[in-house]
Amino acid sequence: METLTLAWRNVWRNRRRTLITIVAMSFSLMLVQAFHNLSFGVYAQMVDSGVRSGSGHIAIYRGDYVNSRDDRLFWNLKKMGVLEQRIAQLNGIKAVLPRLYLPGLAQSSRESRGIMLTGIDPVAENAINPLLKNINAPALIKTLDGRDALVGSRLLTELKLKIGNKFVVTTQGPEGQLVSELLRIRGVVKSGIREVDNSLVMVGRQRAAAMTGQPEAIHELAIILDNPDLEKKLIPLISELLPAGSDLKAVSWEQSMANLANAIKLDYASQKFIFLIIVLIVTIGVVNTLLMSVMERIREFGVILAIGATPGRLRATVMTEAFLLGSVSMLFGNILGALATWYLVEIGIDLRDFIPETMEFGGVVFNPVMRAAWDTAYMLQISLYVLLLSVVASLYPAAKAARIAPAVAMRHH
Amino acid sequence: MSLISLNNLSKTYPLGSQKIAAVQGLTLEIQAGEFAVLAGPSGSGKTTVLNIVGALDTPTEGSVNVDGNDYSEMNPKELADFRLRRIGFIFQSYNLIPVLTAAENAEFTLMLQGMSTLKRRKIISGIFGELGIEGLEDRRPNDLSGGQQQRVAIARAIAPQPAVVLADEPTANLDSSTAEDLLQLMRRLNQEKGTTFLFSSHDPLVIAHAERVISLRDGRLESDIQQEAG
Repeated sequence: METLTLAWRNVWRNRRRTLITIVAMSFSLMLVQAFHNLSFGVYAQMVDSGVRSGSGHIAIYRGDYVNSRDDRLFWNLKKMGVLEQRIAQLNGIKAVLPRLYLPGLAQSSRESRGIMLTGIDPVAENAINPLLKNINAPALIKTLDGRDALVGSRLLTELKLKIGNKFVVTTQGPEGQLVSELLRIRGVVKSGIREVDNSLVMVGRQRAAAMTGQPEAIHELAIILDNPDLEKKLIPLISELLPAGSDLKAVSWEQSMANLANAIKLDYASQKFIFLIIVLIVTIGVVNTLLMSVMERIREFGVILAIGATPGRLRATVMTEAFLLGSVSMLFGNILGALATWYLVEIGIDLRDFIPETMEFGGVVFNPVMRAAWDTAYMLQISLYVLLLSVVASLYPAAKAARIAPAVAMRHH
Repeated sequence: MSLISLNNLSKTYPLGSQKIAAVQGLTLEIQAGEFAVLAGPSGSGKTTVLNIVGALDTPTEGSVNVDGNDYSEMNPKELADFRLRRIGFIFQSYNLIPVLTAAENAEFTLMLQGMSTLKRRKIISGIFGELGIEGLEDRRPNDLSGGQQQRVAIARAIAPQPAVVLADEPTANLDSSTAEDLLQLMRRLNQEKGTTFLFSSHDPLVIAHAERVISLRDGRLESDIQQEAG
């Protein structure tokens, strides 16, 4: 019979109150874990979709292109030698996608619209880019320097064109002059992202690059990783491969797709606030339970002090009770949290009846079937946090127990 | 040297703007091996004296020396350790810890001393045998009668072999037959083991069993009589 045994039995003195506290703590832990994992899964899904259609997990740009989007900051892929191949050979690299972006004007015989002419490598992009999900890009854009083009669905409508029609794209050349190309529509991209569907024109990258005067010009080398967690490890390795004095920089997706990163941060910040409120409620619950438990035992604590226990011993007993309360709650909370996460991973939450399938969030399409992903490190972290919080919540009741004067306490009824 | 020495002891309690004198100028010597009772009506100051001797309360004036230790020279931690090793307490309401078994309650002070489980079980087993409560080791206080609970409380008090056992109204919640049995038991422990007992009580039965009756009235010593214990 030591402190732990005594504390354990004390915890169960008032079975109903203890059970209510444990249920509240476990349920709160489950809620925080399950909703975090749901967000974690949804964000991962969005980031994955975003990096595949956008700038990759890591992108290589020249100068300040990441911020300025100055289309004059293109660079010659061929002049960089075997940079593309050397990056592709690094462990954890799934794909390396060269891209060129040129703002311009598309004109049909009846309408004209502002566009973003995007030069791609259709073979490399086809398996990766979600914008090409239902499209066989290599079959439609047959060569890198051909005139075949894919256009956004709304742009097609607004230009009053059909597949097979021709249209003219005009951009600014390297000397400031206007450069025009005649393209033929081979397919339609329907992404659900307003900006993409309104303005995307995809062609072989060499055709687009020809408009800059350099057939090997690109703005971006988008690098897709096998595992997003490798990003921090690979950025320095990729940076080492960039030729010295080239003004090229490897940047993370958080920098290159700041809109998406900020949207996620903002969304998660509001969730964290809700988590904080839940945790605060749990803390108040624990303080209340322990304080009631201490107040009910004033006389008993007086006796324990009278027969020779030190105030420190009493403090340790109350804190051990809180630790046990937290441990049991942590155990059940984790079981419930794991079950809830499992459900959200396997089944998910289907919002198709409530929101359109093409809803956009942070510049990417939001999947209306939300699925969680396991973030075990966070689950462990929040569990330990709840445990720590239980012990911290016991400090006041423990201090109160330790301050009891035995002679006065023994007169207490 | 006396086991307990109270010299010109006074204790006053504030009550609003007034001060209530619970004990006034009490000087008393108690020798090792005595079986003494502090007698007197309610409010006579006997529990206050017992609390001061038990280092649970401090005097307003005067000095206390128990087993060669001057309390005024000891800090709270030293006083707690002194209580743990040298003073046994028996209370009117038994005051056992409800979540512990009878044996665990009895060995609680030994546990606080850091004694090994095996050693303390052996000691408690012997004491339970002496007190006639063998077989009740695994029962919780709620499953014991008042007399049995008070025997467990006595076991807890004598387990660390204290210099003195302080018993505050130990028979107040017991019927006279059980009270008689318990008093005989404590007397036997006093005679056989030499354990010093100091009671506070106004129960005539306790007073009759004591070999020394120290009567208090209004916090002052009224009489101090040696008698043939009943």
